[in-house]
Amino acid sequence: MEHKTIKKIKKTASLVFLWAIIIVVLFPIVYMVLLSGADSQNIAAGREFDDLTHFGRNYVEMQTNINFFGYFKNSVVIVGISTLISLTLATCAGYALARYKFPGSNLFGLTMLGTQLIPPTMTLIPMYLIFIAIQNYLGIQFVDSYKGMIIPYVAIFTPASIWIIRGFFATIPVELEEAARIDGCSKFQAFYKIILPLSLPGILATGISTFLAGWDELMIASVLTTTATYQTIPVGIRLFIGNMQNRYDLTMAASVVTTLPVLIIFFMLQKHFIQGMTAGAVKG
Amino acid sequence: MNKYGFAYMMLLPAILALVIVQLIPNIQGLYISFLKLNQFTFKKFLKAPFVGLQNYYDVLINPDSIIRAGLFESIRNSVIFTVVMLLATIVFGLVLALILNQEFKGRSLARTLLLLPWVVPTYIVGLLAGFMWGYEGIINRILVDFLHILPEPIYWKSGSLALFTIIVTTLWRFFPMTMLMYLAALQGIPKDFYEAADIDGASAFQKFRYITLPTLKPVTAMMVLFGLIQHVYSFNIASMMFGNGAGYPGEWGDLVMTNLNRNSFALMQYGTGGAASVILMFFVILFVGVWLKVFKDSITIE
Repeated sequence: MEHKTIKKIKKTASLVFLWAIIIVVLFPIVYMVLLSGADSQNIAAGREFDDLTHFGRNYVEMQTNINFFGYFKNSVVIVGISTLISLTLATCAGYALARYKFPGSNLFGLTMLGTQLIPPTMTLIPMYLIFIAIQNYLGIQFVDSYKGMIIPYVAIFTPASIWIIRGFFATIPVELEEAARIDGCSKFQAFYKIILPLSLPGILATGISTFLAGWDELMIASVLTTTATYQTIPVGIRLFIGNMQNRYDLTMAASVVTTLPVLIIFFMLQKHFIQGMTAGAVKG
Repeated sequence: MNKYGFAYMMLLPAILALVIVQLIPNIQGLYISFLKLNQFTFKKFLKAPFVGLQNYYDVLINPDSIIRAGLFESIRNSVIFTVVMLLATIVFGLVLALILNQEFKGRSLARTLLLLPWVVPTYIVGLLAGFMWGYEGIINRILVDFLHILPEPIYWKSGSLALFTIIVTTLWRFFPMTMLMYLAALQGIPKDFYEAADIDGASAFQKFRYITLPTLKPVTAMMVLFGLIQHVYSFNIASMMFGNGAGYPGEWGDLVMTNLNRNSFALMQYGTGGAASVILMFFVILFVGVWLKVFKDSITIE
């Protein structure tokens, strides 16, 4: 009997600890949301909770102040296109790696993993200099352009996507293609009509993780863009503070708007989200 | 077409793309580490003067080179940061996963709430944390006025406490992943194992030591590898917490990546930046080699 009581006390204590942790963990997020409705002068005076009625004003002013949705649109376009390109490349390559043991297939797979060890600056420095050289010699603008952002993003996201998608294809039985081939499908038809629909959840999970990694990318964006026309959210959001103004209320309104898409994906596709994030955990 | 024709055809687009956007830039990255590439010569790019190992000498030995500004402090910080983060995410994630693995009311709600930091983009985490850890920030006010733990506010963001704030902030953002991986692993342990151990009269500690821990070893191996790469190359949070990535964040507010990024691009030391990147990559490969040795039995490349 006594043993049971001790067990019960232990469990209760652990749950008290758990909910205490949850309160601490949630606090910064709640604080961010509350700040987005505060007044900037109250914030500066350390009285940010006094008047939390400015949500409407702040969410409008965030747009009139720095044209925040311009940055938002750039993020969506750049990260969206990069994700589509890298997902298409990775789906084809991942299928080939999962199904065929050709000479060099293991080496290719390991190389994809190996690229994760390359420091971001190692790729970024030459890429930046190449872009400048192309502009000087050929007159094509890469720094400050959508293509100049999509190229490095495809470069850093494709290898990991290939490795992850390869894993998803490997879980689908080969017999399915063999049956389709006997029924007269070509190799490509078997892939396109039978295997692709079956592995769509895995591909979706990989796509989510790629998109979120791009949504979260700061270093490349801060080096390769210099004008608002092509800058993404992480670069633009810094203008609310330091740029002759100190508007934490607007920063937090923009932060809430930036976090929202991720939150929506999280709640709508929780299973795929988690699968994608844990599978794509390399190089966040 | 031979029997691999289809495979090669499917691979071709990816290979072409990766040769252009990964292989060529990285080979050039290696090559420019031997060039004198700075604010005066960067327009010549690959035609810049070849200086052999000069850049490596500048990074590792030469006390007067520009690239060394704060480099060693940032390396020290990154070593502390990575080691503490690996330990903290594993311990914190495991403890929470063990609690969440019990049956209780509101369990799925608790799990969902604990995953929320993961949803916030890291640069926003950095912005928010930079504000919260300020001298007049909310953390000081809670600790001093509300909880009365501290007699007076602290300058969290100066001195060695700056590194502490980066660690706590990054832990907040990244523990959900370890927690989730451990939780999945714990839920994969068949209940009969514990029942069988109960019949044999095993204590709670023995069950943890001989059933739970061995099952968690492969997950831990993966977490250590992911964490190692993630934390050595950590950039966003530290960069946004201290001066929005502009200017020198102070001796303890700088990590290897923030330092390399600043010295390479803001100071326009591209050649030496390339050399430092190569050296950094060498060490990361070395660490991964050590990791392979330590966790040799618990991983299968698949």
